Amino acid sequence: MNISAIAMFFVFVIITLGITWWAAKHTKTRSDFYAAGRSIGGLQNGLAIAGDFMSAATFLGVTALVYSTGMDGMLFVIGGTLGWAVVLLLVAERLRNLGQYTFSDVVAFRLERKPVRIMSATGSLAVAIPYLLAQMVGAGALIQSLFHLPYNLAVVLVGVLMTLYVTFGGMLATTWIQTIKAVLLLTGGTIISVGVMAMLNFDFGALVSAAIDVHPQGPAIMAPGLLFTDPITIISIGLAFVFGTAGLPHVLMRFFTVPDARQARRSVAYAIGFIGYFQSLIFIIGLGAVVYVSNNPEFLTAGGGLIGGSNMAAIHLSKVIGGDLFLGFISAVAFATILAVVSGLTLSAAAAVSHDIYANVICDGDSDRKTELRISRITTVVIGLTTMALAILLEGENVAVLALIALAIAASVNFPVMFLSMYWSRFTTRGALAGGYSGLATALVLVLLGPTVWVSLLGFEKPVYPYAYPTLFAMLANLICAYWFSVSDKSQRALAEAESFAAQWIQSEIGPVQEK
Amino acid sequence: MLSPTNKKIQTNKNFHKLVSLRRRVSWSFLLVLLGSYLTYGLLSVYFPSFLARPVFSDGIVPVGIAMGYAILALTFILTLIYIWIANRYFEPLERKIIAELER
Repeated sequence: MNISAIAMFFVFVIITLGITWWAAKHTKTRSDFYAAGRSIGGLQNGLAIAGDFMSAATFLGVTALVYSTGMDGMLFVIGGTLGWAVVLLLVAERLRNLGQYTFSDVVAFRLERKPVRIMSATGSLAVAIPYLLAQMVGAGALIQSLFHLPYNLAVVLVGVLMTLYVTFGGMLATTWIQTIKAVLLLTGGTIISVGVMAMLNFDFGALVSAAIDVHPQGPAIMAPGLLFTDPITIISIGLAFVFGTAGLPHVLMRFFTVPDARQARRSVAYAIGFIGYFQSLIFIIGLGAVVYVSNNPEFLTAGGGLIGGSNMAAIHLSKVIGGDLFLGFISAVAFATILAVVSGLTLSAAAAVSHDIYANVICDGDSDRKTELRISRITTVVIGLTTMALAILLEGENVAVLALIALAIAASVNFPVMFLSMYWSRFTTRGALAGGYSGLATALVLVLLGPTVWVSLLGFEKPVYPYAYPTLFAMLANLICAYWFSVSDKSQRALAEAESFAAQWIQSEIGPVQEK
Repeated sequence: MLSPTNKKIQTNKNFHKLVSLRRRVSWSFLLVLLGSYLTYGLLSVYFPSFLARPVFSDGIVPVGIAMGYAILALTFILTLIYIWIANRYFEPLERKIIAELER
């Protein structure tokens, strides 16, 4: 039992509950609840965006990937950063200029509201819920090994806290919690990396050669191919990162918390700085763990594996660097990371239900503020309870597939539909529905028939679809259907939609302008 | 149908300047970045031995790692340039367009 970890974690929980209590007093309107009253500045929003992206999956998962496969982890390190350049160059300013609270606002800007909203809300939920579940199951296991709490208790603790933050504090509390966590995580990552480099006299070459000496694969870790060898997989991973990032609903929602497109642009630029910096630390941390953890009997099981699995590489390394006190700090930061990310995801799922479905589909865009907010809070509680129950049922299951589904759907459903609606004048409602649903169906079917579900979960001998990642084909299915069903659409509605593109284009370039 | 204000914007010279400048900058930056990622991916499939070679003949750091960090640095530099261009050109143009609407 690590007393300092528990103490630091309690301090974090007390501070965040205090923030939630403060935020609850300031959360009255829809814009407060979904978008923190548009009061967040560029720097803070950049930190919060970086925080959303730097989940436990990045910090612990990518470190583990570098730890076990060396250079192949670079594909994730680069992709994770590049996705943000796509957000900056293609999406951020237009999104802010066109939308209100969710990316569905942009897709539905000139297309037929109801069917398009239902499709894009489905896309949001299909990303947020599996991703949330993956984080919860991972969190349970992580907290179990960090704090020696029973798995079920850990899941309930995460679920209850996230529900409290979102229900009472809305986007304002979620943003502050994410900001604090981002600062803590960047600090922790920096200390670990500097610690590793200091032990090697700040010689990167020494780190590389020490890793080669220690790693069981030897020089092979400094060459590609330990994990990925076929081009389809590599392209699919690349696409999932580069375009999936711009399709994550909880990240896109953050662009509505700033006052204008200028601040939206600045927030991505800050986010790119923080994320790029953090990703470059990940590689050092991963190699550092090879050198200082993988051959240290204190961290190994009888079988020679890491205690707690390879996801614990970064955590064990923190003990080497700073003893029990620093181990406690990093454990508390990992816990805080999980809490902050699941809160953001829950909020985006709640907004998809209350803003996209309830307010715009059921109430036809004319909903009562109080009822809408009550519905989003009820949705939050329902999501909290459901994911807690499911996470308890899924204890010990391989949940990698859930995170895989989430990013694949973000890249093959949400991003193409949003991109085409922003840039292509002949994109029609029919094209959006055909593209969105075919991308969704292709992604789900290919994951089902792929090695992760068909072989590992269902026990068949050979996968029908040989690749783990569905992104390449699912994206293509979306784009081909979206194109074909748009250009062949000769209806009156399609004509009107093409005509209203000009006004949307102008607003996307310079924002809403007061009519004179 | 466009509203009168939108019609004014659509025929505004500065609006066209803004749109075409932003288009050129974003797409060319994007092309460079995606191109370098694609190059890295293709090298790792078809020429893994190239990425495994040390950058300097007497060193140990392989080309793949150096290239990865170089792409990160490039992303960061292009981001800074984009923000600089936005401050220096996009924003004054936007202000001009809005000001010209008042007249």
